[in-house]
Amino acid sequence: MADPARIKPEVKPERTSSANEEHPKSDGADDGPATSKPADVNKESSSQDPAKQEEKSDMAAGEDEEEGTSDQASKRLKLEPEKKKERRQKVDEDEIQKMQVLVSSFSEEQLNRYEMYRRSAFPKAAIKRLIQSITGSSVSQNVVIAMSGISKVFAGEIVEEALDVCEKWGETPPLQPKHMREAVRRLKSRAQIPNTNASCCSWL
Amino acid sequence: MAEDEDEAGYDEELDDGSGGMDVGGHGRRKRLFSKELRCMMYGFGDDQNPYTESVDILEDLVIEFVTEMTHKAMSIGRQGRVQVEDIVFLIRKDPRKFARVKDLLTMNEELKRARKAFDEANYGS
Repeated sequence: MADPARIKPEVKPERTSSANEEHPKSDGADDGPATSKPADVNKESSSQDPAKQEEKSDMAAGEDEEEGTSDQASKRLKLEPEKKKERRQKVDEDEIQKMQVLVSSFSEEQLNRYEMYRRSAFPKAAIKRLIQSITGSSVSQNVVIAMSGISKVFAGEIVEEALDVCEKWGETPPLQPKHMREAVRRLKSRAQIPNTNASCCSWL
Repeated sequence: MAEDEDEAGYDEELDDGSGGMDVGGHGRRKRLFSKELRCMMYGFGDDQNPYTESVDILEDLVIEFVTEMTHKAMSIGRQGRVQVEDIVFLIRKDPRKFARVKDLLTMNEELKRARKAFDEANYGS
C-alpha cells in the first residue's frame, strides 16, 4: 500500500487529498471514540463550510462562464468538464489546506495515532496468498491492492462501530470481544457485512 | 478458548454452518495479521494495546470478508477468476469502500507513471 513517507513530493498533494476524505475529524479532543469516515467527513466538512465552499466554486464557475460566453457555444461545451475539474481541484486544495491546519494542531498522542492510521496496512503477500488459496489461480496486483484497501476500510468500520457500542455501554477502551461481536451484529443488520449464507428475510 | 494450531495450511472451511461468527471455530489457523491489526486498531481509535482476543476476532472477520468477496467475485464476470472490475462492482453500494478503491487504483496508476517517467529520465541521461 502506498506509504506516505515514501511518496515523492510531487505526488504528495494527490495522496493527501484522497486520504483527506478518510481522515477522522477530531475536534482537538483526545482520542474521541467517534472517528468519522469518508462519507461522514465529506458531509461534515461540507455542512460546516457550505457557504464558503459554494462561494468559491461559484466564483470559479463565474470566472469560467465569463470566458465561455465570449466564445462560441461549442467552446462553452468544451469548457464544461474543465470547469468541473477546476472546481474539484479547488475543493481538493481547500481540503488539503484544512488537513494541514488540522494536523499541525495535533498533540503528540494524536500524531501517533494518525500516523498509525495512515501507515498501517495488510501485508500484500499474505492477502495475495489468501486470495490465491481460494481461487486456485493467480490474481493480478491490482486485485491485491483493491482487496487490502477495502479490508482496511472494513476493519475500520468494525472498530468504529465497536467503539460506539463501548461508549454506549458506558465502558472504556480497550475494546473487548463483546463490543466487537455487538458491532458485527449491528453491521450485519445494516447489511454492511457480506453474508451469502443467510437467505433473505428468513425470520419474518 | 482452545486454539488448535495444527496446520499452517490455509484451507478455508467456510463455516460452522452458522454465520461464522463463532470465534472458537476459527482458531485453528496461524495468526496472519496480528501485528498489523494491532497498529490498525490503535489508528482507528482503540487503546494502544488492544486485547489479543479482540485482535483475533477482527482477524477472523477480515479473513471471512476477504473470503466472501473472493467467492462472490469468482461467481460474477469471468467465472473462476477474480478481477478488479468484479470487486468494484461488488462494493458499488458501499460509498466508503467504493471511493477508497477508486482512489487506490488511481494513485497506483499515477505512481506507475511517475516511476516510469523517472526511470526513463534516468536511462536517457
